Amino acid sequence: MLTPPHPRARDPEPMLRLERISKRFERPGGLRVALDDVSLDLARGQLLGLFGPSGSGKTTLLRIAAGLRRPDSGAVTYNGERLDWMSAAERTRFRRREIACVWSSEPAQERLGVTDHVAMPLLVDRCGRRETDRRVREALLVCEAEQCVGMELRDLSDGERQRVAIARALVSEPRLLLADGPASNLSILEREAIMLLLAELARKARVAVLIAERDAEALVGADPIIYLRDGRLIDPESLGEAGRVYQFPPRGSERAAADA
Amino acid sequence: MSAKHALLGLLIHRPAYRYQLGERLQERLGPSWAINSGQLYQTVERMYEDGLIELVDGSREDRTERDVYAITASGVEEFDRWFEESTHDARQPRRPLLAKIALAGPDRLKEALRQIEAYERDCAASVNGLTQQRDAIPRAPVVGSRVRADQVFLRLSLSADVAHLEAELKWAKDAHEIVSWLLTEDAIWPPEYGRSGTSKQASERAHAREELFGRIAARSLKEVPGKRREDRDADSSPPPSAGS
Repeated sequence: MLTPPHPRARDPEPMLRLERISKRFERPGGLRVALDDVSLDLARGQLLGLFGPSGSGKTTLLRIAAGLRRPDSGAVTYNGERLDWMSAAERTRFRRREIACVWSSEPAQERLGVTDHVAMPLLVDRCGRRETDRRVREALLVCEAEQCVGMELRDLSDGERQRVAIARALVSEPRLLLADGPASNLSILEREAIMLLLAELARKARVAVLIAERDAEALVGADPIIYLRDGRLIDPESLGEAGRVYQFPPRGSERAAADA
Repeated sequence: MSAKHALLGLLIHRPAYRYQLGERLQERLGPSWAINSGQLYQTVERMYEDGLIELVDGSREDRTERDVYAITASGVEEFDRWFEESTHDARQPRRPLLAKIALAGPDRLKEALRQIEAYERDCAASVNGLTQQRDAIPRAPVVGSRVRADQVFLRLSLSADVAHLEAELKWAKDAHEIVSWLLTEDAIWPPEYGRSGTSKQASERAHAREELFGRIAARSLKEVPGKRREDRDADSSPPPSAGS
């Protein structure tokens, strides 16, 4: 039953396993297949990049991995526990303890203070005022957003908003981070900085990180990078030459550079 | 100049993967700075051995493209030494002055402007001098007079120099204008230049990351108890109800 672990994963046992996940939605025009028989493993310390056009099922996949939705069929196993078998209340408790999410539709125009926003996950833990403040500042510093202390969400630039969102995810010290488009709408350099931060998070904090982006280019440093299209995973190898682009590092360019 | 200083200039603001360095160099400085992966590898190795850079992620035994390098204190020193020495020879294919401008970042931009101005003055003076020297020689045989052949060639050579320096001067003026603009217009610096550039902030951040990431990592280890492990082992045989 156990599939062989990804050869480059440092932890041989997957933390999160999605097995043969399918999900359909009812739409005015009839049933729409969001995910069709998708399986993937994510180990501790791994930074897995998922890309595909909009509507390919990325967000649905992340929502299922986060336990926010149940799949129609298939199994979601987290450290050996079946997430899809839990009751809604159990799942919520579990999620708060283990999982943090960054969604692409982070609040933008609110008059909410940045520190209050980042502190939100700690309210549930009934953290003391002082301790909360310390952890919020620490998370913002880690994410290079310490200058946002004292600002409101609507004052933030796109890049800062993403950094604040990641800080908010880290403040609860999760073991699994799911990020939907954390680097979209950003300049290439901002993107790289965010990916570098997430890569460090995966390697040093041993957090399992799953990132979904529309473009493979945004996924600098993710390994492996997988491609989702019309709710199905596409093997990069099957794309032939084009598939190489999605492997890290881009082997084609390396070779070209060595030949030059 | 060597690629060493350019690489230090890229790393001075934030750490990077080795493979990113080659790409960024070209992105920032143009095709004349293209460096092949062999050269890049060697340069990075030498810089590492000289203690100018250090490995912040990845391991020395198992070196891969995913190693992340950062500049060390002596690397910063070396970069500043190079940055402040005045080297501007227009004939070098890899132009040190251009590299300095591109790598200056917000902290060193004033110094870069000072050097651009000096270069502009040098170019203007040379253009004047060479033009006078050139114009003293007739361009072609004047009817009824005789021209020494070698002087015609000398004139040709001088006009090539003048044309070249005029182009340099034009470029320097352009650079002057752009860099002055960057200094006055409160330009936006991408995070690659270190949004919060001081080394104190950087070390505070590194410390905070170490602490938070360490805490999360410790939590992961602590909370995978033996019981779960048994569960997982049990799962590896087909679970009774998973067939549905």
